[in-house]
Parts: sequence; C-alpha cells; structure tokens
Amino acid sequence: MELKHKDAGKVVQRELMASYYGDLEDGEGPVAYLFVPGNVVEILRPFGFRTVYPEINALQCGIKRVAGENILKAEDMGYSADVCGYVKNDVGICLAGGSTPLGRIPKPDLLVCNFSGCNTFIKWFEALADLYDAPMFLLDVPYLRDEASYQQDIEYVTQQLWDLVAYCEDMTGTTFDEAKLRETLEYSRQAEDLWTQLLSRARLRPSPFDAYFEAVFFMAPINVLRGTTDCIDYYKVVIEEMEERSRAHVGPVPQEKFRVVYEGPPCWPHFRAFWELFKAWGVVGVASTYSKVGGLFETGIRHDPARPMESIAEYVINCYTNWNLKKRSELLQQYIEEFEADALIIHSVKSCRSFSVGQADFREVFSHELGIPTLMIESDLADPRYFSQAQLKNRVDAFFESLEHQRIVRGS
Amino acid sequence: MQQTDHLSSVRELAQDVSFSAVARWKEETGGKAIGHFPVFAPQEIIRAAGMLPVGVMGAWGLLEVDYADSRVQSFVCSVARTTLELGLTGRLKELDGMVFTDICDVARNLSGVWKRNFPEMLVEYLHLPQNVTSAASVVYLERELERFKGKLEDLSGVKVGEDSLWEGIEVYNHQRELLQRIYRIRRESPWLLPADEAYLLGRAAAQMPVEDHVSLLERSIAEIEARTVKSRDNIRVLLLGPFCEQPPLELLRIVEESGCYVVDDELLQTYRWYTSAVPTNGNPLRSLAESYIERARLSSVRYQVRRRREAIVEWLKEARAEGVLFCSAKFCEPALYDYVLYKEALEAESVPYLHLEFEEKMSAFETVRMQVETFVESILFA
Amino acid sequence: MYVAGVDAGSTTTKAVVLDENSHLVGKSLRATGANVTRASELAYEECLHASGIREREVSYVIGTGYGRYKIAFGDTQVTEISCHAKGAHFLFPKTRTLVDIGGQDTKAIKVSDKGEVLDFCMNDKCAAGTGRFLENAATVLDLELDDIGPVSLRSENPLRITNVCTVFVESEIISHLARGQVVEDILRGVHSAIGARTIALVRRVGIEPEVTFTGGVSRNVGMVRTLEERFGVPINVSDLSQYMGCLGAGLFALERAQGASPRRVKRVEAGGS
Repeated sequence: MELKHKDAGKVVQRELMASYYGDLEDGEGPVAYLFVPGNVVEILRPFGFRTVYPEINALQCGIKRVAGENILKAEDMGYSADVCGYVKNDVGICLAGGSTPLGRIPKPDLLVCNFSGCNTFIKWFEALADLYDAPMFLLDVPYLRDEASYQQDIEYVTQQLWDLVAYCEDMTGTTFDEAKLRETLEYSRQAEDLWTQLLSRARLRPSPFDAYFEAVFFMAPINVLRGTTDCIDYYKVVIEEMEERSRAHVGPVPQEKFRVVYEGPPCWPHFRAFWELFKAWGVVGVASTYSKVGGLFETGIRHDPARPMESIAEYVINCYTNWNLKKRSELLQQYIEEFEADALIIHSVKSCRSFSVGQADFREVFSHELGIPTLMIESDLADPRYFSQAQLKNRVDAFFESLEHQRIVRGS
Repeated sequence: MQQTDHLSSVRELAQDVSFSAVARWKEETGGKAIGHFPVFAPQEIIRAAGMLPVGVMGAWGLLEVDYADSRVQSFVCSVARTTLELGLTGRLKELDGMVFTDICDVARNLSGVWKRNFPEMLVEYLHLPQNVTSAASVVYLERELERFKGKLEDLSGVKVGEDSLWEGIEVYNHQRELLQRIYRIRRESPWLLPADEAYLLGRAAAQMPVEDHVSLLERSIAEIEARTVKSRDNIRVLLLGPFCEQPPLELLRIVEESGCYVVDDELLQTYRWYTSAVPTNGNPLRSLAESYIERARLSSVRYQVRRRREAIVEWLKEARAEGVLFCSAKFCEPALYDYVLYKEALEAESVPYLHLEFEEKMSAFETVRMQVETFVESILFA
Repeated sequence: MYVAGVDAGSTTTKAVVLDENSHLVGKSLRATGANVTRASELAYEECLHASGIREREVSYVIGTGYGRYKIAFGDTQVTEISCHAKGAHFLFPKTRTLVDIGGQDTKAIKVSDKGEVLDFCMNDKCAAGTGRFLENAATVLDLELDDIGPVSLRSENPLRITNVCTVFVESEIISHLARGQVVEDILRGVHSAIGARTIALVRRVGIEPEVTFTGGVSRNVGMVRTLEERFGVPINVSDLSQYMGCLGAGLFALERAQGASPRRVKRVEAGGS
C-alpha cells in the first residue's frame, strides 16, 4: 500500500529546522541561549529574542558526526576527557567562531541558565559567559524533593520569572507584553496536547513508531519551537503520518517482537548503529524518558494562559531529570504497565551524571523487586569514542536471546 | 614528642571509618546523629535539635570497595562511591539521618540512592539557592531551613527553640574564628604548621561535638604558636579544587616536601563556609539564610555573579601566593570545568600553575612528587 | 673537572660523565632490578670505568628519575622532566616541544630556548595512549613489541580504531580480526589512535617546532612516522634518547659545579619529615 504521508514528519521537520537555523544566521533580534529542560522561551519570545539551545546543537553535531572534532577542540583548550561531551561540543563551536554544519550559530546577548535537573548546566553557561563575555541570568530551579517543599519551590521560581521579565525589559528597552505572553502560552499548550497525543499512540500494537529512536527525533519542535504555530502544525502532520501507519499496520520494524521502555539518552554519534542493535531483534521502544527531558506533559503539566507565571514554574520544575529518583522509578514502572512493555533498557551515558547516577538502583528495583527483565548498557550521548559496538552487541544479543528463549519455554 | 602523640590521636579519631566516637556520643547523651555530605551542612540547626552533625566524606582510601561498584558507574568520583560503601557495609548504622545539598549532579542523585537503600534513615536533600541576586532567594532558603528543622523535630519529637538555634550559631561562629586563626598561621608562617596537620585538625570536626572541636583547636593553636621551626625558602601556593572528595594526607605532605608552602586552600569548606560571623540578631534561620547568600566563600558548586577569573586573581594577591596547584578529584565535573577558567586567568596573569588529579585511594604519589618538584624547579631555575 | 648525571628509572638505570666543556666522556646502562640504590651505584661505577676516571675527579653528581632519592652518592636531585628538557636542548638545541612516551606515561614538555621547562603535561592515570597500549595490542596480535612498528608501516588501508581504552581496544582488535581485517591495517590504526591521544596532550602545552621525541616508544618507527604525520613537521629522535634524562642531570651538575645556584635551597627528602 502506498503511504501518502510517508516521512511527512521528517520532511516538515527538515524544513522547520532549516528555517530555524537560517533565522539564527540571518535573522534579527537579540539572541538568548537557554537549555531545553525547563526552558522559559515563552517569556523570551514576547521580547523578540531569537533562542539558541546548545544541547540541540550538540545533538545535531553528534548526528552529523562533527561532535568528535568539536570535543577535541575543547580538550585542546584544557577540558578533561571526563566531562560532559555536550559542553565540550559547545565550547568547540565557540572556538570555531560559531560555524557548524547546521549554519553559523550567533553569539549570545544573554545566557538564561535554567538548570532544571542538571548542575552541569551552571558550569556550562559559566564557561560560555567567560568565552563570549556575555551576561548570564541564573534561574534557580529547585530539585523536586517532596510535596512539603513543592509550594515554596513554585513561589521561588515564579518570583524569579518576574525578575527575568524585569531583566529583559531593562536589557531590550521594551515593555513586557502580557497579552503576547498569553498567546505564546496558548500555542505552547496546544502543541503539548498534540505531542502527548502522539506519544500515547505507542500504546497500539504494533506501535506505529519507535517511542525512543523516532520520538527523540519528533521531539525537536517541542524543544525548540514551543510557543509558535509551526510547532502545533508539525505535530498535526506527524499524527496524520502515524494514523496512516497504523491503518497500514506499518511500524518501525517489519515485525514487532519485543516492546521495551528506554531510560537514558541515545548515542547520537552512532545513532544508526545503536538503533540497529535493537532493530535486529524486532525491538520497538514504546516509551522513553529521554523524550521527556523537555517536559513531562503526559502527567498533565501544561503551559496555561490563565495562570502564566505559575504554569511556567510548574513546567520548569517538572522536567524528567529534575524529578527525584523515586519519582523517576515510579514513572518507568508506569510506562512499563501502560505501554505493556516486555523489558526495560537502561542506557547509561558517561557525559550525563544527572541521568546516570542512580540507574544501577533502577536496575535493582526492576529486575529484582519487580521481576521486569532489565538490560543496562553504557556508552555516551556525545563522545564518539565511548562506543564499543562489539561489546554492546554482545550484551544486547544475549539479553534478547534469553527473552526469546523464555518465550519459547513459556510457549507464548 | 608530645605534639606527635596529640596529632596521632587526632588522626586516629578523624580516620575512624567505623565511627565509634559517634556511637559513644550517642550512648552518653542519648541523642541522635545526622550525617552530612561535604561542602555545606546546616550544622547549627542539627546541633540546636540536640543532635550530632557527622561529616561523611568518603573513607580515607581505607576501604576495599565491594558493594558500591555495582551501584555507581565507573565514571563517578570516589567520594560518592566510598561514602555509599560506608553505608552499604553498615558502618553508618549509628546515623539517624543523612543530609545532602545540591553541590553537583552526583551528590544530588546520591540522595535518592540513599533514600532507597537506607529507608530507616531520615534522608534530606536541601536545595540551596544558586541564584544569589534575587530578593526571593533568602526567603526561599529560610523556608528550606525551616522545613529541615521541622524534619529534625519530627525525628526527635522535640521542638527546636530559638535560644538553642542562637547557641548553635554562636558556637559555630567561634569554631570558624579558630579555623581562621589556623589559616592565618598558614598564611603568615606556614613553616609552623604543615598542610596535612592543619587539614587533620580541621577534619577532626567531622566526628566530634563542636565544643570538643573548639577546645581541640584552642589547645592546638597555643601549641603551634609556641613552635620554633626554621622557615624554608619554599614557593607560596594556593591549593585549589572543590575538595568535596578529600585529598589523601600524603598528597598534602608531598606538596610541601617538594618545595611549596600551601598558604591557603579550599579544604574543609563545610567548616569554613561563612567568611565572617553569622549575625546573632533578628531571626536565627533568617540570619543563616542571609549569611549563606552574603557571607559564602568562593565555591565551585555555587554560582556567583562575579567571574571566577577575577576572584582568583584577587585571592592570589591577598594570599601573596606565587603559584597555584589546582587539584581535581578524578571524574569531578565542577572541578574540571573550573580548571579551564582558572587556567585561562592564570595564564593571562603569567602565574605559574600545575594541575594535579587525585583520588581518595591513589598510589601514584611518586608521579605527583615529580610533577610538583618539576613545577617548583621551573620556577626556581627560570 | 668532571660531573655526572645518574637516572634511576623504573626499568633501567643510566649514568653519564661529562667534562667541563659538556662533552660526553662515558655512559652506562643497566637493568634497575629490585634494588635502586645498588643499581645506581653499579651504573655509576661502570660509567666511571667507561670514562676512565676516578670518583674523586667528579665534582658534582645529580640524580634523577623515579629513584632519584635513593641515589646515596648524589649531591642533589632534579626531576626527570627538567632533566629531559635540558638533555633534549643539549642534543637538539632548537627543541621547543618535547614528547616523551614511556611504558606507563606520556609527557609533553614545552622547552625554552635555554632548555628550561616552560610548561608540562602528563596523561592521567589511565594508560590509554602510552606504551602500554601498544604492548596490549602486540599481545592480542601475538607479535613482538619491537615488530609492531615496522609491520604497521606496511599497511595499505589503515583502519580507524575508535577505542582509546587499553582494555576495550583488545575487544575491538579481536572483532576486526574476526571480520578478516589484516594485521598491518589494524596496527596502523592502533598507532594512529595513540598519535591522536598524544597530540591532544601535546596541544595542551602548545606545539612549536622543533619537536623532539624521547622515551622507550621513540624507538618504534611506526610511532615516529605517525607523530610526524600528525604534527606535520619532522621529529628529532636521537640514538642517545635513553640517556636524555641523565644527560640533563649531568648538565645541571655542571652548572652547579661552575657556581650557578638556583634561587632557593633543597627540598625535604622523600619519605622524611
């Protein structure tokens, strides 16, 4: 059957990202750098900021296989082999005068350090502040601890958001336009609804898409273009494409044999090879935590024009890596149940201790306490040097071999 | 001779990884003990709740790690690993609670690991403000400290009064003043007090009630000031690094044996956090919160508006240091990021520096000695 | 007037005697073995014998190397990094960058026009990129260490070895062999991986010609070729490479004997207090 919408999501995204990077290169307006998790783009858009997300650049450089070179440039400058590859990729871009295969990245006029769930973010922007001699606004995001501290955290973040507004008014010389903020928040909300809807389609059997290897690609607009109509339209297109895939019983692999939940970032520099390890076994990701670093919208978190600052504060605090380990573990369990997964795959990456430290305890919880088959593997999300294909293949093969064997024994 | 005996008993206490002094204190007083990870701890509040704050900062390289390796990946620093090992091997069973603060991603997540593995303990994670300019920060921190105080009250069943908070603040102010005197000796006459001894004197605070530590410092200062030691023509250096992971004593000794005097450092941060006395008027928790923002020392793990390059140059001048030894624990991200900023600043000022990497349990001391000696030679022979 | 330099290294102990015009009068080399003190005494005696002079004719002796404090007869000690810089400057006066790759560690040293150390950098405790990496590769491929350099030069289609870890590289080599890749190409890849790691270290002190290469690995022609390609400049390698450290020590000894004294005095002896 001929698929009318085949690769529609891919094609439209290519255009959107090209136009995004094009605007960074030739567009006008001040430039703000910010991080994906807990970003406050809705506050910046009304001021006319163009926004740069260094993590997205790092990810793209990883896929385009230039991260290795960038990382080496940063290491030449003195950065250690043991620090985050994303940071080094970004420093490398700076040392190369902003030039990347994606386009030239403009220098920051403002660094908005929303460090939701990652203290390394602070060190990262501290380095950029020094390299670019740019001002930095630190938005302090308390780690989600418990119910008792939640309200004080919301109030604290909310007040800082007003501080940021004042800072931007001062810097740009423009008065804050609250109506514009509400409109932006409404666009964000609609895109978040659609994105959540899209991800929930992985409940279907077979799942029309891989909720890890494809979702981390589909997530780009929700991470980069939130608060625009382009972002809303994009998810309509992808949903159509997925509806069509479902009607045609087409999925990411010829035959869905194993449904798994993925914890941890993918290996960008060897993305295809990494995916192949699983595809070979008919494995489909039905849910993943990495696709939620930009927001846990399936838990009901939404940007809300009726409660502008408070809803932003709620969003900022509720990003996956800002959740405590217990909540993260409960979320994984919920994914396994809701999406009827057969196993949990934990990809532990050296670059991101925020993701990785505690994952061995997840393995204990799932494999020993809950009896869910769990595989833990290691490589990196940015640094091509930490990928040992032979070793990974051994582990992945052994894991699915044994799952398959158990199935045969159980006669299912 | 007496001095050596005195020091060896301090050393024995400080290096006791079975925490028997804590057990004794609990038996004698019937109080509870709260452990804390390095860099910052609300000791004043713990003491005000009638409890003993216990510094848990790794294991001096004394443990063979059996259990923690399966929980902590190979790319994680030793202090997280050996602290967890202390817990998993039952050495911290005397602790009724454990506090972590937001110093880095590892420490933050370790709090969650701790919660799961030690459900019988009160495990608290305090988020301390990284934003030091917002009017909201002090208010927020006061509430965070209040929340922590509430947790301790739940644990003991007793309300913490304002008087005992003030008492706690005063005695810790006194302890910090004495530590500052130790550091003044090091700055003015470093030959009187070797770096490893100074460190041990401070580190002893981890396992004793603050009053006992105060009298230890008082006795020691008197004894040190009476020493007659000939000065050597060593190079005055700052020993920098976040030192959440604690350096081996051997490392401190080698640095000085190789021809340096450490005239200031970033060691013992938990006990030196406030650079001047916490004011003893108004509301005690508010005073602590304000001091955290306004009197905090330069730290790798707390954001400060002023650029590090400026801070470091100023510090060098203040300490009249001729060079910098930058020590980073293997895999310590905050340290390794700061290193580049410091390096750039020092090169711009033509200040000699050396980067050394250490681990709690390390054996390559000869390599360290060679590097420090070469560093000294490169200054001497130039 | 004569002076001497003794280098007590972890595997071999070397000694040289120089005359007052810095001419090399004699040299010796022996395995260090378990007793460093004894090895340095013997090396020194052998060197005196080879030089045809008596001990009392030697005015100043400087010890270097990891066992420098065990050299009982020395007047003082200087580290091997300072000595290597001095020695390299002596042999190749235009040396500005010195690369030393030994079995356990790699050092990059920036040298002034007078042979002083301006900056230096060592690999971290990980053995990636050191001689050990080559030894492991040789073992996996069942070759002698001395052969792998020449073999690697016969490669026509060099492979890319992505792993830098000495442990992981073994499994990578095995998987290349399993895929039918030829030994020459794998080895070229291994050399290239070390080259990449080395240049990363050297860049930290800055690459400025001339570049001089010392240490055990400098005898590997494959490694010399690789580094020359990476650096883009010819590299100095000396037959006296192994004596670089004690030559430097001897030259420091000559300076002392002729009255130059450093700004400050001796440091505390290792292990003492």
